[in-house]
Amino acid sequence: MKRRRRTEILIQDDTTLAKQLAEGLLQNYTYREIVAPHYGLTMVKMRESAKNSLFYIGEVLVTEAKVEINQHVGIGVVQGMEDELALQLAIIDAAYNANLPQTKEWHDLLLQAEAEITMKKAKKQAELFETKVNFETMDN
Amino acid sequence: MGYVAVKGGTKAIEASIKRLTYERLKESEIIEVKTIMATMRSLVDQVMSESSLYSPFLAALSIKQAEGSMEEAVFIMRAHRSTLPRLYYSQTVESESMFVERRISASFKDIPGGQLLGATTDYTHRLLDFSLLDERVKQNEEWVKAYELELANIKATDKVSYFPKVVEYLRKEGLFDTYEADDTKPVDITKENLPFPAPRSARLQVLTRGQTGAVTALGYASLRGYGQVHPTVGEVRVGALPVYVDQPNGTGQNHEDPYYIGEIKVSEVESFVPVSTKNQKNEAELEFEIGYGVCYGQNETKAIAMSILDQCLEHPESNFPTHDEEFVLLHIDSVESTGFISHLKLPHYVTFQSKLDSVREVKKEGKE
Repeated sequence: MKRRRRTEILIQDDTTLAKQLAEGLLQNYTYREIVAPHYGLTMVKMRESAKNSLFYIGEVLVTEAKVEINQHVGIGVVQGMEDELALQLAIIDAAYNANLPQTKEWHDLLLQAEAEITMKKAKKQAELFETKVNFETMDN
Repeated sequence: MGYVAVKGGTKAIEASIKRLTYERLKESEIIEVKTIMATMRSLVDQVMSESSLYSPFLAALSIKQAEGSMEEAVFIMRAHRSTLPRLYYSQTVESESMFVERRISASFKDIPGGQLLGATTDYTHRLLDFSLLDERVKQNEEWVKAYELELANIKATDKVSYFPKVVEYLRKEGLFDTYEADDTKPVDITKENLPFPAPRSARLQVLTRGQTGAVTALGYASLRGYGQVHPTVGEVRVGALPVYVDQPNGTGQNHEDPYYIGEIKVSEVESFVPVSTKNQKNEAELEFEIGYGVCYGQNETKAIAMSILDQCLEHPESNFPTHDEEFVLLHIDSVESTGFISHLKLPHYVTFQSKLDSVREVKKEGKE
């Protein structure tokens, strides 16, 4: 699974999937910490819709961690102060970069979590649709 | 009286800081950061927006430390930001990817996807609610439970919808100019001095981190006649935007497969502004231009005011101060304006004595 999709799932998941995957992996592998979880900034670049140009809306606080497994580097980066999650994401990223066999087993778990996330979002959206305005035109 | 240079005051300053701590603690009440995050959304949003640092947790902490002073909280956040390394630049965030929680148009009643009021104070009575004096956790939990029960019956589809921009429909009709995607690297005013004339990217960056009151006041001034922009709001949307970053260089991996890092909540506005132009036959014609506003959090007034000022600054030929980019951009930053005003409290004994001496001299000469 591509990184974009898996990081979306692991960060939006409100259970402990990242913890579960990382801890499971560490039963068979060890990791070397390259950069311990630390805080930094990400500058957010945005496209405005008037002239279609780019500008910086501001910075976001992130936590970043870097680890190495089997000589493959993994990076975990997540918004906020999330030391544990950043480390878990880095371990999972390294596992994918090293193409470890466990990553194949994770596929279904990730898909399941993704379905759950989509369902919750769709439900939240349906709830928000309760505030949708139904205009009635006033005729004479 | 001669010039008076002074030093000292260390003990008095130490005592003053103790006094400040005493003022915060003396009532024996503690407000938790999580309480501020849970109950002061607007305040947290404004601090994040004005400090240009998205972190609800740090914003809430700064509000606690600053005892609710916006200028102090923003100052503390900016200072903290300066201690952190800039690790990444995000991929371009496109607002079509927003998970919309609120979306309204003052221009059309029927917009594709509909008008979604979301959570807003717009339709509430602005009367003090004295029942809040007797608020109980248990009672609140019961309210939430009942509301969630009500929501449980709502049927959802299995897909999430994303809303196209209202302005895109008008562009398709040829009523608004279309612009090719301009990928010019933006100026970053946190890394270089604000140049004049300011590039559009720098203008938008200054406006979006401007002090809410200052941006609103200048936008209002333009509406009242100290400017030439009176727009109709095409679309206001509030929602969460996903943010992705590329893998840093040097790690030898796939750069086209980014990291998702989370989402930011923003308010975004397109204002439609009528502009008189001349067509090829030299006849007067009415056209629309778009003013753009966006800011961290839910702060629609600021985003709308920003869209007015954006449009003002696109037309520097007007003589009004709200169309003068130096006037607007150099006076709306919270830390800069409150800092400069505050510096007036610092000792100016030498300069003031010099002015006094001059006045005395002039008066003496007048008597002679």
